[in-house]
Amino acid sequence: MELFLMTVTTGLMVGGIYALVALGWVLIYKCSGVLNLAMGELTLIGAYVTLTFYQMGVPFILAVVGTLLVGILLGILCERIFLDKLIGEPILSVIMVTVGMSFFFKGVVQFIWGSDTRVFDPPVFALKPIEIGFLKVSSVYLWSFILSILLLLIFVAFFKFTRWGLSMQATADDETAALSLGVSARFVYAAAWAIAFMSAGVGGALLGNINGINISVGYLGLLVLPAVVLGGLNSVPGAIAGGIIIGLLQNLSGTYLDQYFPGGVKEIVPFAFMAVFLLFKPYGLWGWERIERV
Amino acid sequence: MSSVWLPCGDYHENYLKDQGWWQSSFIKVKMILLLAVVFLGIPFLAPEYWIGVATMVGYTSMGALGVQLLIGYTGLVTLGHAAFIAVGAYTSTMMILQFPWPQFMVDLGLAYPVSILVAGIVAGLWSVLFGLPSAKVKGFYLILTTMAAQFITVDFILTQYVSQIGGRGQAFSLPPGTIKIGPFVMETEREIYFLMAVLLTLIVIGLANLLRSKPGRAWVAIRDNDIAAEALGINIVWYKLLAFFVAGFTAGIAGAFWVSNTAALSPEHFPFFLSLWLVGVILIGGVGSIHGAIFGSIFMVVIMELLQMAVIPLAAYYPKLLVDFAYIKDAAFGLAIAGFVIYEPNGLAYRWWQIKNYFNLWPFSY
Repeated sequence: MELFLMTVTTGLMVGGIYALVALGWVLIYKCSGVLNLAMGELTLIGAYVTLTFYQMGVPFILAVVGTLLVGILLGILCERIFLDKLIGEPILSVIMVTVGMSFFFKGVVQFIWGSDTRVFDPPVFALKPIEIGFLKVSSVYLWSFILSILLLLIFVAFFKFTRWGLSMQATADDETAALSLGVSARFVYAAAWAIAFMSAGVGGALLGNINGINISVGYLGLLVLPAVVLGGLNSVPGAIAGGIIIGLLQNLSGTYLDQYFPGGVKEIVPFAFMAVFLLFKPYGLWGWERIERV
Repeated sequence: MSSVWLPCGDYHENYLKDQGWWQSSFIKVKMILLLAVVFLGIPFLAPEYWIGVATMVGYTSMGALGVQLLIGYTGLVTLGHAAFIAVGAYTSTMMILQFPWPQFMVDLGLAYPVSILVAGIVAGLWSVLFGLPSAKVKGFYLILTTMAAQFITVDFILTQYVSQIGGRGQAFSLPPGTIKIGPFVMETEREIYFLMAVLLTLIVIGLANLLRSKPGRAWVAIRDNDIAAEALGINIVWYKLLAFFVAGFTAGIAGAFWVSNTAALSPEHFPFFLSLWLVGVILIGGVGSIHGAIFGSIFMVVIMELLQMAVIPLAAYYPKLLVDFAYIKDAAFGLAIAGFVIYEPNGLAYRWWQIKNYFNLWPFSY
């Protein structure tokens, strides 16, 4: 029982990070219709940028803020350079541009930072686990969870209460109507990419604290795809729920299935679960069901 | 886009002629010349190194043709094709190593050819298994199920279970002399090249014929508008699964061929990168044509070779470059895909089409 509860808490907390990255993904899709396969590399960039700031002696929280700023810059640049010209192109072109971006980023990141595993040194979070009642939670997970929930709340508040956030919501709902009301579509696209870079960057920094940073952080970023598919592609609450479900699934399968299927069952289960799930609910939990006509 | 405008004065009188294999004597001569170059020119005149490069081009083409069929002709975007190549490669290897062949089959050198065929069929069926969701989902959701195929097959089943058979750890190696077709043992670059050329020619002929018959027209109809295709009485689930089977079959043959090229096998030969690479190849070559897949393969493989040749002299001054070459290659590949999609969305095949039309219509190109 204790093992079960520990697994669930850990899963929940890792799921919080996935939810944060998934939010960025869904935002791009909702606002500009781009299906982004480069999310893994965005988390990778975020992780390395935070690490670089941290090694220059900047406190962790300020390093994260710095990552957010770099994220804004890179997001706008990316949107302008790669995706601005592709609005309205077929789905395959857009996806392959993001695949091209992901290769490009992966190559550049490895060129700059090498392929060895790097860790935050000195460790950011205390190694001693924190005890809540009878539960022991390692402080990395707990703080990551708190930080990601905090950022999620900030982003949601941004959409609900600021002018920019509202214009993004309007574009996501009905682009033509939003354009006719004077919302600048190009601004919204750039903002969506900036926010995606920010959320993925912070997600990467937090993931990097758990296992150290190497190219496999990018793979963890790929886990976001099952998460958004479970939630339905165009639902922000769905993305958050999907992220948490994937985190839970991953840890539960790691604990309970590993003895029956030794090896990398933890990495596979989200994808296998998603493939089966799609057979029964082709539009995810809260996705829009499109009725197609000829 | 697929067919070229005819020269002034040439016209087809009936449908049979329009769909004909050799549409004019010029095309006939051209194709025979091409075959002569492939079967005589390259193997006997080119240096050993470039024969190896040509073999890689052929292997990439075999994989890319399956992707072309799925993406370019049926509109089913797949990002897991390396998984099916891997299934083919492993089926072939396991059959050669583990299957109790009767002695006369081994003596006659039939074991490897039979295993190529079986590898194709097994990979085709495996591909159909992961194509099943295409009955219900499409677009991005389908892309993700094919990605799931990649991770489940290569990273899990092959790495964790199949590689353990025989107890030799990660990699299989085939003893020399086991890869044998009839009396020929596949050892030198030239023999492997010939095997590649024969397989690739057979695949191209098979696919081209399939595409100008009923299944091919059904696939194109599904690609262009699946609901309209269904209204016309095309069983779209059946034809989608057929497309998955044929694509998986070619992938399996490519995989079985790969075994003869390396004589060793490990799951690392089939990473997610290879799947994306194949999609990149057809995007650069041109979506929706057979020669597009081949142009793309030639372009990508040769460019990467040239890049490598450019790096080696530079490495004398900047040694870190050799270590970092893999990363530069990644970045260059990424930029090439993005650049082609943005600036040349029709790929190299479109340029080829323009050139051919220019000469067909010359000098009166109105």
